[in-house]
Amino acid sequence: MNKILTVCPYCGCGCGLYLHVENGQIVGVSPSRSHPVNMGSLCVKGWNAHEFIAHPDRLKYPLIRKNRRGSPENRRFSGVSWDEALNLVAAILDEIKKKHGPDSIGILSSAKCTNEENYLMMKFARAVLGTNNIDHCARLCHSSTVGGLAAAFGSGAMTNSISEIADAKVLFVIGSNTTEQHPMIGMHMLEAVDRGATLIVADPRRTKIAEFAHIHLRQKSGTDVALLMGIMNAIVNEGLVDVDFVRRRTENFDTFEETLRRYSPDIVEGITGVKAGDIRRVARIYAMEKRSMLFYAMGITQHITGVDNVRACANLVMLTGHIGLPMSGLNPLRGQNNVQGACDMGGLPNVYSGYQTVTDPGARKKFEMAWRRRLPEKPGLTLMEMMDRAYEGKLKAMYIMGENPLISDPDLTHVREALERLEFLVVQDIFPNETSEYADVILPASSYAEKDGTFTNTERRVQLLGKAIEPVGESRPDWEIISDLSSRMGYTMNYRGTYEIMEEIALLTPSYGGILHHRLQEGFGLQWPCHDINHSGTQYLHRKKFARGLGTFITVDFVPPDEPPDDEYPFLLTTGRVYFRYHTGTMCGRTAVLEREEPESFVEINPDDAERLGIRNRSMVKVSSRRGAIELKAYVTNRTPLGIVFIPFHFRDAAANILTNPATDPSAKIPEYKVCAVKVEPLVRPQKVKRVPSVDLEALRIT
Amino acid sequence: MKGEFILDRNHLSYWLRQMRKSRELIGPLMDGGKDIVFKSVDKIHELVLDCPASLPSPKEFLFPQYESMLRFTPLHLPLTKGGQGGVSLSEKAIEDLSDKTKRVIFGVRSCDISALSLMDKFYIEGHKDPYYARRRENTLFISIVCNNPDPTCFCIGLGTGPYLEKGFDIQMTDLGDRYFVQIGSHEGAKTVKAMSFLFRRPQKTDYEDQYEVFLSSKARFHKRINLEGIRQMILEEKVKDDFWQWVAGRCFECGGCVYDCPLCTCFTVTDRTYSEGIERVRLWDTCMFKGFTRMAGGVLPNEKMVKRTKRWYYHKLIYYPESLGGFGCVGCGRCTITCPGKIDMASIAARLKGLVLNEEEE
Ligand code: SF4
Ligand code: SF4
Ligand code: SF4
Repeated sequence: MNKILTVCPYCGCGCGLYLHVENGQIVGVSPSRSHPVNMGSLCVKGWNAHEFIAHPDRLKYPLIRKNRRGSPENRRFSGVSWDEALNLVAAILDEIKKKHGPDSIGILSSAKCTNEENYLMMKFARAVLGTNNIDHCARLCHSSTVGGLAAAFGSGAMTNSISEIADAKVLFVIGSNTTEQHPMIGMHMLEAVDRGATLIVADPRRTKIAEFAHIHLRQKSGTDVALLMGIMNAIVNEGLVDVDFVRRRTENFDTFEETLRRYSPDIVEGITGVKAGDIRRVARIYAMEKRSMLFYAMGITQHITGVDNVRACANLVMLTGHIGLPMSGLNPLRGQNNVQGACDMGGLPNVYSGYQTVTDPGARKKFEMAWRRRLPEKPGLTLMEMMDRAYEGKLKAMYIMGENPLISDPDLTHVREALERLEFLVVQDIFPNETSEYADVILPASSYAEKDGTFTNTERRVQLLGKAIEPVGESRPDWEIISDLSSRMGYTMNYRGTYEIMEEIALLTPSYGGILHHRLQEGFGLQWPCHDINHSGTQYLHRKKFARGLGTFITVDFVPPDEPPDDEYPFLLTTGRVYFRYHTGTMCGRTAVLEREEPESFVEINPDDAERLGIRNRSMVKVSSRRGAIELKAYVTNRTPLGIVFIPFHFRDAAANILTNPATDPSAKIPEYKVCAVKVEPLVRPQKVKRVPSVDLEALRIT
Repeated sequence: MKGEFILDRNHLSYWLRQMRKSRELIGPLMDGGKDIVFKSVDKIHELVLDCPASLPSPKEFLFPQYESMLRFTPLHLPLTKGGQGGVSLSEKAIEDLSDKTKRVIFGVRSCDISALSLMDKFYIEGHKDPYYARRRENTLFISIVCNNPDPTCFCIGLGTGPYLEKGFDIQMTDLGDRYFVQIGSHEGAKTVKAMSFLFRRPQKTDYEDQYEVFLSSKARFHKRINLEGIRQMILEEKVKDDFWQWVAGRCFECGGCVYDCPLCTCFTVTDRTYSEGIERVRLWDTCMFKGFTRMAGGVLPNEKMVKRTKRWYYHKLIYYPESLGGFGCVGCGRCTITCPGKIDMASIAARLKGLVLNEEEE
């Protein structure tokens, strides 16, 4: 038995684990004890990260079909050789490019693939196809962070490191279900609480992390800007501002303050439903302790005001000077194992690797010279815009790598229609999924255990994967597929291995300048920025000055959600994830234990609402919005407050995203997954619900 | 068959190399900086003997995380008029996939060896699990007297370490320039006999030196935990429900405590349909998950977390002694290392003791 050190393929914590190999098969997983993130622990997904690798459903050879709109005979997929499949893709993409221009093709890169693969994919889009139409699922989770923080600080990543958490004194967690979605970060937070830190959680739902909190603020969904402004208003009024920091390191405070004045805690109480006293208390606790860390996740970003929410968070840390020091900072928790890396590598329509913008002639010149091709100047389409253009018939072809938009995007009915209207769709994945049902060509990729390369976790740690087994079937690593395809389209990509790709990345990307595979082999990777070969990585950002020089206070104002509940659709639907599931279920759905734990979708509803509607625990209900309706089981629980219902988005049956509102943030184009209006009806005859009187835990809580 | 021998330090690798000719040699190796992993040994000189605990426990070689059990290739028979036919399974269509590799696991700790005796009772006595039994027969364990316990270890209070009186195949004590080798099983004796020219009989000084190592090893423990005391507390109902509630509130449902523990036995069985046939596999599972005890119709008798965490402790401290005659814990400390919620055996024992003592004083 051999054991290979590698990185967990699930979430952004980036835990180190060993894959156990026996006779060319993966037979187990165990945690690394000295890894700085997981320190001998793993969450249930990590512990089961071995099983899906050899699942019989794996795609083993390329599949094509003659005509997906034709007769059943023509619609059937048949297995072909790599040569045939790639020649076909190359020919059709070429043809579409010639006929309709490069911008009629859209590319979805993947936060599940390695940095090297994302880099190649963006090179493929820009140099080979000649379009900036490349995006990936970060659009749906943290595009507001990337944009919001780039403007405020000059760098859109977690500022501090996971290993600092345990020594912090105040943890302010807003819109993150940390113990379930970033379990190993949750572990560090719990450790900090055990050591005496104060934990403040702001979340409308009573999540598990909220159970550990000393103060739990349950703001109304979609009112985060107001809440944060209220806290900042209290900080200013009570004289808790770090004046020296604001003066020396930031700009634009005065304009911001004018707006801030309008948000007194009492007014904010009216908007958010959080008591003014609590707002003041949180302001004092957060501002007065120097070792205060602020965390946020999807609860902040997935709103039409996502960017504003992020800016408000940035303003809060600048106001109190909690940045540029260990155990402080603004820490967005990135979801996918390599979503940080996919963004860093420029899998976005407006930037090259290292966030060098495509509109900047200097940067473009550099890449043009390195790649020996003229590059497009205009930023490309975002994920949602691609779907819209496809729907309108203007986008003709898409190439989707390791992503499943038919579960993950909002307003699925629209997405399905859009994919149907495409002339040509290539899907590259390890398993068949909902999206590949609409494909013309399916290319089988290798899983994380069958290739090497790097992942970048949420704390900017670039870590090396260990190749444990040979690719399953005829599948090939994504980077090989891309470079092969590219050669067939007349642009030779000649890499001997992923290390050569990394070398090119380091050459063209200042923040990855010193990151090379041989340096990652010892220890557990390097945290960017790492400018040159002697640089040992950066534990926390913005140390003496911000990446952009001065930090900017960007004025924000409260805007209500796009679709607030009304008489017809009286409930506010918020979506999210559950612990045993991961995203669209491609991997965890093929893992016996994980699949068993949460086999089906459900809607969480407050007991009072349930009683009023005559809904019993575990009975079937129908949830409908302006865009569609789904039927699923009700789960009656106090976790969800009055007037709000919660549905996890993972499931194919009763997919929450049939309901969600595709309204997006004006600049980041992130959809508002966290708020839309729905109505809930019992599917069986309403029943008189008898309830055991329950104790209000909130009232009993001593803080 | 008992016996005591001395092996010169320089002869260890020769001995292991010879053994490797007939068995797969597994041993503790350093990886990723400071991690200890048990895997096939390529370079014998890289073995680390004074090592901290490995994750998971060596039970993975007897009861693996993922084990192919059998494959069946159903024959499709044509349907006859009377509605007969369909799929038939003949004896021949079933292929046994159980593992038959001979292994020697070198460098195992005493606690893990003492866990084996209870595992044997569970998997072999009464209902015999053929997969476990076969692997057990084929595996030889060479244990090392622990001279470098982790801060998390507490075998010393349980009599399961740092050295053993019985229950081992071969136990070795590191005396610096030589090893004191004790034989505890037939298989162990055979292995030593086959190479008898490497070994000599111990002398008085060897015994003295061994005794000294035992003493110094005992002195290195940070923790001493009296599980019997905890058991009594539970039996006397001194542990209140709100304590278990508190424990449950901190559980991350990772399953690590069960996966890592040398004495946990939960598994699940699942079938995988490949084009060549259907493969039945056994996988590690854990009673910490609500679905583990799901019944037909979707009822979850253990839906409340508190029932599961509490049961884990009851099983290890109350039911195990009743059914198998020993605690379901050998003090290896792995749950302490792995539990993200810090509700492992050692922490809970320490906390319970504190709580109950406080209450009694009040
Ligand atoms: S916390 Fe995230 S990275 Fe770590 S084991 Fe769990 S899913 Fe994997
Ligand atoms: S309960 Fe914990 S300390 Fe005891 S044997 Fe199991 S893993 Fe080791
Ligand atoms: S290791 Fe700890 S957190 Fe994980 S299942 Fe066991 S008790 Fe729960």
